[in-house]
Formats: sequence, structure tokens, C-alpha cells
Amino acid sequence: MKLDWSVPWQYRWMLADGVLVTVMLAVLTMAIAIPGGIAVMLLRQSGSRVLRAVGAAFVEFFRNLPLILLVYWSFYVLPIIVDIQLSPFATGLVALCLNVSAYNAETFRAGVNSIRAGQRNAGLALGMSRWQVMRKVILPQSTRRILPVLASTWVSLFKDTSLVSVIAVGDLAHNALQIRSQTFRVLEMLTVMAAIYWCLGYPQAKLVDWIHRRYGVSE
Amino acid sequence: MSAVGGRDAGRKGADRPPIVVYEGVVKRFGAFTALDGVSAQVNRGEVVCLIGPSGSGKSTLLRCTNALEAIDSGRVVFDGAPLPRRESEARHVRRRMGMVFQNFELFPHMTALENVAVGRSTVLSEADGTAKVRARALLAKVGLADKADNYPSTLSGGQQQRVAIARALAMDPEVMLFDEPTSALDPETIGEVLGVMKQLADEGMTMVVVTHEMTFARRVGNWVIVFDHGRIVEQGPPAQVFDAPREVRTREFLSHLGWGGDSG
Repeated sequence: MKLDWSVPWQYRWMLADGVLVTVMLAVLTMAIAIPGGIAVMLLRQSGSRVLRAVGAAFVEFFRNLPLILLVYWSFYVLPIIVDIQLSPFATGLVALCLNVSAYNAETFRAGVNSIRAGQRNAGLALGMSRWQVMRKVILPQSTRRILPVLASTWVSLFKDTSLVSVIAVGDLAHNALQIRSQTFRVLEMLTVMAAIYWCLGYPQAKLVDWIHRRYGVSE
Repeated sequence: MSAVGGRDAGRKGADRPPIVVYEGVVKRFGAFTALDGVSAQVNRGEVVCLIGPSGSGKSTLLRCTNALEAIDSGRVVFDGAPLPRRESEARHVRRRMGMVFQNFELFPHMTALENVAVGRSTVLSEADGTAKVRARALLAKVGLADKADNYPSTLSGGQQQRVAIARALAMDPEVMLFDEPTSALDPETIGEVLGVMKQLADEGMTMVVVTHEMTFARRVGNWVIVFDHGRIVEQGPPAQVFDAPREVRTREFLSHLGWGGDSG
């Protein structure tokens, strides 16, 4: 078997495009799923039983579905429910945001619950509202505990973006697989695709390790 | 002495309506009854000390005073109005009371100055600069002007508790609630905290103090309430409670602490 490494080079701009879309997807997902996760966490911590149930249902639903199913669901079912046809990119973004928001909500909840009750009481005793206590007292303190977990979620998310390729979002995985099926250069394309994901992911994983060492709470 | 125990004409502040009145307050935690029909009152300008064995309900009553705990029956009346049940209304009452905790509960991510200023800037929406000017003055009042930029973790227990007192005072409270303010302190720093509290009392601040510091209760307190098993055993002026206790339980509790009277 003769390998032809000129194929990936020939399609380098298509691969670069894919990388850009992958990075955009990951960044946008996290940018939305952090406030999204906080919102869902606040629902779960709310004084209203109904809101708590809504928050819990969101988390348990979207966290326990396989992401690929969520991607297909957003593509085929969501447009029927909300009657809006989104672009594949936006559809993939919605699926990722639902999944990661559910994970982030649990991360934030664990971080918030790790702050002892006395801190909350001290805020309340000053006359703060529950929301003010959250914003001024609890969230700033839980950041240290939340950040390392959030970083791990980010690394998973970066790789999981590849799942949106099944609905023809032009991310790295989709473009690489497209080139493969046009050129029949399976081994070359899969190798190059793996190399690119690894080169992008490895520094991130190292960065996460550093964050764990720097901010990890040892108690 | 009346059943309520607080209407004595000679009692400090008896000429004005009381600031806090407890009427048959009951508080349960599951099967445990923490407060079993507590009735008492706090007059304006008074220092009321709550004493008694651990777990007798003193701290619970304090936490019911600013609605940090909801009561199961009875009433807590603050400035003529029963405490609101709704959380959103409770905070308007809480801001009029200051609270000092056994474990200080300073906010560890804020400097001493920020700890004192955060109440005014957040709850009263006061400009940051204005709140900090006030906070600086209060830190000076508790003798910590030079520690304004320190984080709580770099302060001694006594210093942290004085910052916590300044934080509570920042809201211009009508009554200060102290929950065992010296119990978590090293013996050598207890004095500095009691000193600040004595100074507040001398300035006429209304104070409710849960304490095991009998000397403080005897000398600074105007009214002493003795708790046991969620009930009030005895209450009266410190001279009566400490020097001529009427109840056996009071005598037992005081002798258990080694209280032999206050010779000073």
C-alpha cells in the first residue's frame, strides 16, 4: 500500500476551516453554558419547589442522554417543536449547550454547596437578598473549587464537538471525513485528523493539569 | 415578677416600648424541641445576656430574632411588628439588626475594609467610596484602622471578631445580636472583643448577647435570662440572678461554671 501525504496538504485550507469551526463551537458553547449552568443551578437552589423540579429535570434529562442522540434530536425534532429551522452550526451549538449546561449546573452546585452555611447566614444577617448573597459571598468563594472541574469539562467538550459532524457542521471531523470520502485516502486523513486533534488537545490538557495544581482545593 | 418577667418598672428602658418581644416562641428541629414556649423582651438601650448550658436554646432564640430560623409557633415582635414570614420581607428587618457569630464568618475573599463596606454598598446601594469612608471609621472605632487592607486569614481571632462587629455596626443597627462572640477565641484575645462590646454598651447600643462570659454578663448586662432545655428558668437583673438566684437550676448552672460571685 502506497501512502499519499500530499492529499491532506492539498486540502489544508479545508482542514484549517474545520479547525476554526471546532474552536468556535467549543468557545461559544462554553461562553453560553457557563451562564446557562449558573441559571440552571439557581433554579435547583431556588425557594420554589416548582423551579427546583424544573432545574432537576433539565439536568437529569440532558446529562443522561448520549450527546450524539442530543445532536440528532436538535436537528430533527427541535425544529418541529419550536418551528424554527436553524443552520447546522447553530443546531450543533444548541445540542452542545444543553449538554454542557447540565454538567456545569452540577459543577456549580457542588462548588456552591461546599461553602459553609455560616457564610450564607452572615450575608443574610446584613440584609442581603439570596441573590446578593450568591453573587457577593458564595460564587466568588466557590470559583476556586469550580475552576478545575470546569477546565476538565472544557477538554471533554473540545473533543465532543466532533459529534456534530453527523449533521454536516463543517468542523474539523466533518471536513476531514469529507476529504476522506472524496479521495479514498482513509489512513492519511484519519491520521492527520488525529494529529490535529491531539496537537490542539494536548496543550489544553496540560493547562488543565496546571489549573488543578494551582487552584485545586486540598482539604 | 410577672410571668413575662420583663415588665419590671425599674428595668432599664422600661419607660419606652420594647424593641424585641418574644411571645411563647416554639422552635422544633424534627423531634427535638429547641425552644419550648419562650416569652421575654428586650428594652431599648438594654444589654440582655442569655446564659445557660450548651444546647439549651439561647443561640436558637438569637437566630429566631432576625428570622434566620423560622419559628413553629408563638411570635417574635420587632419594633411593634411581628417578624415577616416571607424571606423577601425578612431581609428588610434583618438589615436593622446586626449579628456577630461565634466563628466570625468574615468573607475570606474580601479585605477587612471590604467586609465592613459590603453591607452598605450592596444592601443600601451606597456608592463604594462612601461606604468605604464609613467602613474606615468603624475599623478605627474597633481599633483596627491599620488592618483595613488585611485579609481575614492574616488576622488573629480577636481581630477578626472586631472586624465582624464593625461589619454589623456598618448597617446602623437598632439592636446587636451576639452569638457566643468569644467562644472561638484564644483566651488572650477575649478581652479585646469584650472591651469593644463594653464600649458599645456604654454608648447605649441595645444588645442581646449569648455568652459563657459570666463576668461580662454580671458587669455589663442589664438583664440576664437563664435557659435550660429550651425554657427560661429564671430572668432578672444580674445582681439577682448571680448573687441571689431563685431557681435551683440557676444555682446548679452557676456553680458548675465555678461562679463564686463577683468580688470586683
